[in-house]
Amino acid sequence: MVELVPTLLRQELARLAESDARLDGRGQWDGREVDLEINCLYNAEGSAKVVMGKTIVYAGVKFELRTPWPDRPSQGSLMCSAELRPVAHRKYEPGPPSPESIELGRVVDRGIRESGCIDMESLCIVPGEKVWGVMIDIHVLSDGGNIFDACGLAAIAALRTAIVPAERFDVGEDYTLKVKGAPIMASFTRVGGRYVYDPSEEEELGGDERIHITLGDDGHLHSLQKGLRGVFTPAEFAEIFGVAHLRCAELRKLVALQEGN
Amino acid sequence: MAGYGDVKLLRDDGLRLDGRKIDEMRPVTIEAGILPVADGSAMVTHGLNVAVAAVYGPMEAHPRKIQRQDRAVIDVRYNMAPFSTSDRIRPGFNRRSREISKVTAEALESVVLVERYPRSKIRVEIEILAAEAGTRCVGLTAAAVALADAGIPMRDLIVGVASGKVEGTVVLDLDKAEDNYGQADLPVGILPNTGEVAFLQMDGDLSPEEFNLAMEYNFKAAAEIHLVMVDALKRRYEGGEN
Repeated sequence: MVELVPTLLRQELARLAESDARLDGRGQWDGREVDLEINCLYNAEGSAKVVMGKTIVYAGVKFELRTPWPDRPSQGSLMCSAELRPVAHRKYEPGPPSPESIELGRVVDRGIRESGCIDMESLCIVPGEKVWGVMIDIHVLSDGGNIFDACGLAAIAALRTAIVPAERFDVGEDYTLKVKGAPIMASFTRVGGRYVYDPSEEEELGGDERIHITLGDDGHLHSLQKGLRGVFTPAEFAEIFGVAHLRCAELRKLVALQEGN
Repeated sequence: MAGYGDVKLLRDDGLRLDGRKIDEMRPVTIEAGILPVADGSAMVTHGLNVAVAAVYGPMEAHPRKIQRQDRAVIDVRYNMAPFSTSDRIRPGFNRRSREISKVTAEALESVVLVERYPRSKIRVEIEILAAEAGTRCVGLTAAAVALADAGIPMRDLIVGVASGKVEGTVVLDLDKAEDNYGQADLPVGILPNTGEVAFLQMDGDLSPEEFNLAMEYNFKAAAEIHLVMVDALKRRYEGGEN
């Protein structure tokens, strides 16, 4: 379905930007309230639900036994994929995975994979024969803007709660998956000419390009993605990079808080 | 569905493995309006099953060849999330989900006043987040509440319920073990006010007497679930929200 971008919305967003205001009253770098729930899906080995404004996302972790890749006989595998099914918004159509959902899954996947939070060697059972394949599936139930951050948070939170179902597969006793650190994503969209953190549905509709930054516990970059039509300057990036550090640290605290409960 | 014989599903005291009585259903909770961007939505938990339904529309029906000049079409997609079962499900449609989507759409078209919306389409998306036997019924119940939540006129709600047979005994609302090792499964969609049936499937082996008893259990359960559905819709609109 073609989204008609209302000229009036763009004008209004530009007008608000001049006075450093946003449609929902937030400041430029303010996020919406985030609600994180972990271990909320009965059949998943690890799970999380994230609610950010009108956005609702679930992530579930499943394991399977597989033979390792020939060039990496002692390493397991990790795969993260996202589905943008028609349940999530009027604009999503049924059919094979869209480029948007593939991009979403891959950006989240890179952030988690490249942070090294999972030691692939630890997923090996018998070198060259049997390793664990870890699959994180992200299910967007409601797209109310900034699904990237919601998906990234749900995915890492689900992974961190995962129990390896060794008993069910007859390869020993169940144990908690070892996950080192929590890579967190922060996303920015150009709205009314300047970047804002955590865009809402309306801001995405009337906005331009977006930038996604995934940071590890030590503040290192693990994935970057620029999406949609538009350009940015190094100075603009430097500014949002600074904001990303703050917001990611806050969300990492939220993950720790939920795990402590 | 032929019984495996060696799996014991009824205890010596006559109760089922999970402690339920023969004609006792699993607990059901329903919440309406849980998805902010959908026109109508509902989440139903039934035992360990979790189903979410979203309704979009009525909207223009396209492609045009699906349009009906005299009524709306209901486009249902029943989908199990990859993490909803103990073995991961590969994303995408399969024969089972296509069939369930088709008969669910036809059941819903039997209660929605589709003639009010000629040439349009109503999209119903059913997502199963956790599956523990009986998901098509839970999905149907969720879809009915979501349609009502969307304000779409209907003759009645539909309640999805199932009975079956384990170890030669008719029982209400099969759980996973009973579904896997039982002898029959009879899922139905009941219109609680008119007592009509809009959805019917069955597999296994039932005598005419067993069928009648299973239907009796189904009607009893439908009346119970109907109260929960009505309560969910009342809570949604009495609270002053919306």
